[in-house]
Amino acid sequence: MIVGLIAVIGLVSVNALFLIWMERKVSAHMQLRPGPMEVGWHGAIQTIADALKLMGKELITPRDVDRPVFLLAPIVVFLPVLLSFLVIPFSQTLIIRDMNVGVLLILAFASLTVLAILMAGWASNNKYSVFGSIRSVAQNVAYEIPLLITLMSIIIMVGSFSLADIVNAQSKYWFVLVQPVAFILYITCATAETNRAPFDLPEAESELVAGFHTEYTGMRFALFFLAEYTNMFIVAAIATVFFLGGWQGPFLPGIAWFLLKVYFVIFLIMWFRWTFPRVRFDQLITFAWKILIPLAFANLIITAFIMKL
Amino acid sequence: MLRDNIHKALAPLNLEQVESGDYAKTGYHLEITAAPEQIPEVAKTMLSLGCFLESLTGLHYPEHFTLVYHFNNFGELCRTAVHVKVPLDQEAPTISHIYPGANWYEREAYDLYGVRFTDHPDLRRILLPFEADFHPLLKKFEASSADA
Amino acid sequence: MLERGIEEKTYVLNLGPQHPSTHGVLRVELEMEGEFITKADPDIGYGHRGHEHMAENRTYPQFLPNMGRVDYLHALAYNQGYCMAVEKLIGLEVPERGEFVRVITAELNRITSHLLWVGAYLLDLGAFTPFLYCFDDRENALDLLDYLTGSRLTYCFYRFGGVPVDIDDDFTEGCRKFIQRLRSRWVDYDNLVTKNVIFIHRTRDVGLITQEQCIRYGLTGPMVRGSGLPFDIRRSEPYSVYPRFDFEIPIGERGDVMDRYLVRLREMEQSLRIIEQALDKIPNGPIMAEKVPKRIKPAAGEVYMAVESARGEFGCYIVSEGNPKPYRIKLRVPSFGNLSILPEIAVDTLVADLVAILGSIDVVVPEIDR
Repeated sequence: MIVGLIAVIGLVSVNALFLIWMERKVSAHMQLRPGPMEVGWHGAIQTIADALKLMGKELITPRDVDRPVFLLAPIVVFLPVLLSFLVIPFSQTLIIRDMNVGVLLILAFASLTVLAILMAGWASNNKYSVFGSIRSVAQNVAYEIPLLITLMSIIIMVGSFSLADIVNAQSKYWFVLVQPVAFILYITCATAETNRAPFDLPEAESELVAGFHTEYTGMRFALFFLAEYTNMFIVAAIATVFFLGGWQGPFLPGIAWFLLKVYFVIFLIMWFRWTFPRVRFDQLITFAWKILIPLAFANLIITAFIMKL
Repeated sequence: MLRDNIHKALAPLNLEQVESGDYAKTGYHLEITAAPEQIPEVAKTMLSLGCFLESLTGLHYPEHFTLVYHFNNFGELCRTAVHVKVPLDQEAPTISHIYPGANWYEREAYDLYGVRFTDHPDLRRILLPFEADFHPLLKKFEASSADA
Repeated sequence: MLERGIEEKTYVLNLGPQHPSTHGVLRVELEMEGEFITKADPDIGYGHRGHEHMAENRTYPQFLPNMGRVDYLHALAYNQGYCMAVEKLIGLEVPERGEFVRVITAELNRITSHLLWVGAYLLDLGAFTPFLYCFDDRENALDLLDYLTGSRLTYCFYRFGGVPVDIDDDFTEGCRKFIQRLRSRWVDYDNLVTKNVIFIHRTRDVGLITQEQCIRYGLTGPMVRGSGLPFDIRRSEPYSVYPRFDFEIPIGERGDVMDRYLVRLREMEQSLRIIEQALDKIPNGPIMAEKVPKRIKPAAGEVYMAVESARGEFGCYIVSEGNPKPYRIKLRVPSFGNLSILPEIAVDTLVADLVAILGSIDVVVPEIDR
């Protein structure tokens, strides 16, 4: 367990480094420019340079903030995401703790990040931050529901909450082939859950300066950032486990396939960010409640029907 | 022709001077001189003919201010310039209830010259800081480092 | 200042004066009820540099560089307006080739201004990529103008009586290549932006402006054309050699933000047509008038010269008393009137809509503040 935790922390750091570099390169090439090229081969260690810079920055705490809540928020946003790694099956044998309520654990911890965002926005004592966190809470709550329902469709097909079981159930065919609608719904909700564009209103730069993390500097800001990218990894991992067959695949070892699929899903999510403009807030919520939830329910009912037959 | 229509519509107002302008030299089709109290009537007439307020300029002369209103039309080109002499300490009537666009133009005239407009809904400075105590486009204004 | 909401149901939020998006130094004081805006009050003047005062203390040629700084995005239109106003005052005629060069450069500048607007507007809406595509296209035009005039942004290229530098074959060839390249890009813009579902939802039926409001507020430019009125100074009050060219005036139907975006997009294509025809028809000859007076001392009188800039009608109103320095120069800038409609159309909208509407007005704050 301890070894697993240390491995997880190592993985998270390396993953964040890699993801930030990947995001900058992907965005750059989509925008007809090369991206970071100076530090290391094609900017590979640019992220380390940025991290060093962030660590050296002064930790400013504005005077009128709610101190304990303000200081706790970055920790609360990061810790649950870290703990979600406990149940993800990286390969047939690489899983820290195969709990039989694996999915529930991850989804429960995902909800805790919303609490952290609310804490950050409120404690900052700043109109823009409060605005950002209100929007974020409404958005996250609205999009969690279709997320859960689409995952339920898969769970009733498999009959278990354990992630290892779900991967094993895909040995004949991947679930994306039988549940394409659920896959699309899941990707949409996952993008909204991680506050990524086109659903990134809580951080909307052109409207609210920086949303809920306006008042955070230095390492605290880095923690929010880190949490966002790690969260992306988690939701992509769930997509891989539920729809793309987890670590299964010929020739390469299980973990290689797993990581390949995860990073492919992350690439998809990044692609969305640089292609679409931002959705307006009321349109966002309308989209969730009036379109996604009925679709997800319909999907669940049809799946249950077919399972019964 | 729009120019003749405007001429006819303004006839009952008994303005000081209404004559055709030399377009090649000045860019005006119609040049009008009016007294300050007649401005709202002129504005109402121009609005009824579908003209829009192009610009409102202030000029500072030793004895009076001259307000120059430029009107134009989206359909048929007819630029009308209305020159109004306002004595230095007098107020001019506002036309912001007829042309809402004039609201900001009148605020600008007040800001730069000190011309006040009666019944203006919100006569405060627009370009200079709210607490400035000078009007920069007056001819006697000399900027000095003390104003910074 | 707006008064605080007495019932404690409304609160005041400031948009600006520092923006992450490229509007300029503009502050909008918003009174909000939840996410809905009840009152919007733009606060301008952060960039007031006193251009009109400077005009009264400089001779006519000395004031020429100021015009490029008033609206730096379409500086050549302002150059043109001022030069033509003074030329009218002193009765100076510009030779044909000079006029053609002026038209070509002014239209190129219009395209760069619109391209920047498209990029910055989509950045406001949250799409990061079109900004870079637009700037990439814009670079080619800026290189051409840089080759000819020496500046990339704040041009001071026209002189009283013509232009100082003639265009050569390199420039003409570069222009034609640029026209070809930009025409091939319209497909990309259509697919990436115009047909994008999210973009349509953000801009359809947002910020509606009626034709009546256009008249009452004195709006000009794409604001008016978006609402269906085909008012373009190049067509209704032709100046320079524009009557010789065949171009359309794109208009919208409803007067919403989407229509204004489409009008500006189509205007770029029309500018390309004008440049093409100008390059074909340009006559040989001098580019500067023969007898330009050494000291510009116009007779007493006044002149109002209107030109169509990217944002609307720029009017240069000069009052002369017969001195080498003007008595008064009034710069009638389009953004001043265009922005004054914001308090009316911003009521009962969301902040996100306000950002979309403000962007669609295409404000360049330095020209408002002068």
